[in-house]
Amino acid sequence: MKGDKKYIFLFLFPAAVLMSIFIYYPFLKSIYLSFFRTKGFFEKKFVGFENYKRMFSDDLLGAATLNTLEIMLYVVIFQVGFALVLAVMVDSIKWGKAFYRTVFFFPIVISGAAISLMFVLIYNYQFGLLNSALSNFGMDKVLWLSETSALKAIAVPTVWHYVGFYFILFLTAMSKIPSDFYEAAKIEGISGFKKTVYLTIPLIMSDIKVVIILAITGTLKVFDFIWILARGQNGTEVLGTYMYKKAMIDLNFGYGSTIAVYIVVFGVLLSVLTNRLLKKEEVTY
Amino acid sequence: MGKKSKMLMALSLVFVLILSACGSNNGNKGAATNAPKETNAPTTEATKEPAPEPVKLRVFSTFGGTDPAKEAFEKVLKQFTDAHPNVTIDNDVMSANDDGFRTKVNTDMNSGNEADLTFYFIGKDAEGFVNAGKVVPLNDILDSDSAWKDGINPAVLELVKQPDGKIMSIPVTGYYEGMFVNKKLFADNNIELPTDWDKLEAAVKAFAAKGIIPISAPFDQSHYLIEHSILTAAGPESQSKALTGDIDPNWELGLNGLKKLYELGAFPKDAATIDLGMAQNYYYEGLAAMLIEGSWAIGGMSPEVKDNSTVIPYPVVPGGKGSGNDIVGGFGSGFYLAQKTFDDAKKKDTAIALLKHLTSKTSIQTIAQSNGGSPAADVEITGQPQVALDGFAMVSKANSISSAVDGKMSPETFTTIRSFIKPIVTGEKTAKEALEAAKKIEDANK
Repeated sequence: MKGDKKYIFLFLFPAAVLMSIFIYYPFLKSIYLSFFRTKGFFEKKFVGFENYKRMFSDDLLGAATLNTLEIMLYVVIFQVGFALVLAVMVDSIKWGKAFYRTVFFFPIVISGAAISLMFVLIYNYQFGLLNSALSNFGMDKVLWLSETSALKAIAVPTVWHYVGFYFILFLTAMSKIPSDFYEAAKIEGISGFKKTVYLTIPLIMSDIKVVIILAITGTLKVFDFIWILARGQNGTEVLGTYMYKKAMIDLNFGYGSTIAVYIVVFGVLLSVLTNRLLKKEEVTY
Repeated sequence: MGKKSKMLMALSLVFVLILSACGSNNGNKGAATNAPKETNAPTTEATKEPAPEPVKLRVFSTFGGTDPAKEAFEKVLKQFTDAHPNVTIDNDVMSANDDGFRTKVNTDMNSGNEADLTFYFIGKDAEGFVNAGKVVPLNDILDSDSAWKDGINPAVLELVKQPDGKIMSIPVTGYYEGMFVNKKLFADNNIELPTDWDKLEAAVKAFAAKGIIPISAPFDQSHYLIEHSILTAAGPESQSKALTGDIDPNWELGLNGLKKLYELGAFPKDAATIDLGMAQNYYYEGLAAMLIEGSWAIGGMSPEVKDNSTVIPYPVVPGGKGSGNDIVGGFGSGFYLAQKTFDDAKKKDTAIALLKHLTSKTSIQTIAQSNGGSPAADVEITGQPQVALDGFAMVSKANSISSAVDGKMSPETFTTIRSFIKPIVTGEKTAKEALEAAKKIEDANK
């Protein structure tokens, strides 16, 4: 037992070092910097809680938080929803599973920036794919990235990009369900929609919970789609882009760090909340 | 005992692995510079001078990506390495189209990873690393080589002097900004060129009615809209004071001019979400009649667009203090020599030689020839398209040339104004609110 402890320590040590260097140290440094008014990279002045005061009266940060929550809603409903529907469908087909698995998983492999650029060409008002199609049919062009629709338009590629990831998680979870459950269901005469709702979904509930938490925390990291498609304009600013603007473009690292701390606290609160809401007995089989 | 020592060994092994992974860069560099010295030098004939030690220099610039001077710059670097075979140059480039390169330069400067020569903005943007002593004042080096110094236009050197008289960087080409207009679109639609505000409004109305974008400009990256509105409405003197004193009401007047233009339908429908690149694109594709941009925009034009374009100063909004012939321009960037390189006996002379080469008369000519900027030396630029010649003529006739206003305030102040452009033109916020918010940030940054 004593020896085991040593090995536990030994094997955890490298990971702990890396985590400390690349996660804990920058995080602590962000907390430290959030108490300073910085001027570029070279000068900083201690200002106490000034940045936090500014944060609580910052309308733009409030708007960014709401926009992030809106995207989160789309992600949880559509990303997780589509992934589940696709997984149920693919799970129940006899052949071609591997083909669909590859097809649905594929978007994950493409970088977010590349997908965003593709959607720039799809949504562009002047010569975008959608508007070209509309004008070919003699219809008026639509401003896809308008003030009211920009966030929804950006949610489309955001949702599409990661559907495949959750789809694979669900599919794997479903393949772990022992076949005797289904055989029993078959004898009882339960099939189709009922089987999915009363059998499959309850049995993978713990995976659904994990996926929802992943989706919620993942939304806090959305950046590339917003940045490339709309630069945070027209009501699309989210926490990630706002922090980047403050820190990297304004070179105000103090306030940027304050927002970073806010994002972390916000993320932790959200995942704790989701955990509470989804608390349910674990199924074991 | 045995177990303990084994564990210590294992731990130290992990440490060594991590440390060597972190330090591999330096280690390799050391090996690369040392190894040839041992093998080459002693074996060559004793009577000959030993071959010069290999030197590796890193030059950071924005002469990359789609920059029109990319190839010219590569050619200039190659001339140097051809003449000095012992020198290898790492041509580290980043696009100037976004703000990312500012971050890179500042991070490099701050973390001791500065390039030997850095091509970067002159002025407020560079204040941090200049004050921190990361780069060398070049006055003595200039004075010690009169042939090189005399090659550079003395007026240019005067322009880039710091308030304390120090010259920290040497520019290659200058820039100007103005309103590029597609003459052909104007002529085809019988519209007069926008040489004053009334004509500009008339042109905007006429183009908007015909479904042609009058002025191609983005609201987020609205640098040039803001720079011109402020300069022409407030005049060069108020512009140069920036937001140091009270807010000049003419600044408000200038920004309100944009609102007037927006109401007439001046900007693209998607101006809120496009970036500068897309705005240029609309003009290059003939979808827009006017483009407010800098001289570098000429580089991206097709020969046809070049033929159809000319450039004129942005008109003064009624009541504005500008003369109607004030332009934004100057020598906005130059080469900096890192202090670290200067202190490194192995690199110092080569880096200075490379700096001299990059800012020599012939190199300046080569680069100016390709990017259409005004050369920092007294050299003749030939074969320029008419639009570039129109640009030079505009500069030479200008009543005043002011550097862009964003270099006269903190980056955060300027982005605050930028973030207000859309709310101002759509009437959600007023220009006064924008300038007050910006002033607050500027004061907090003092």
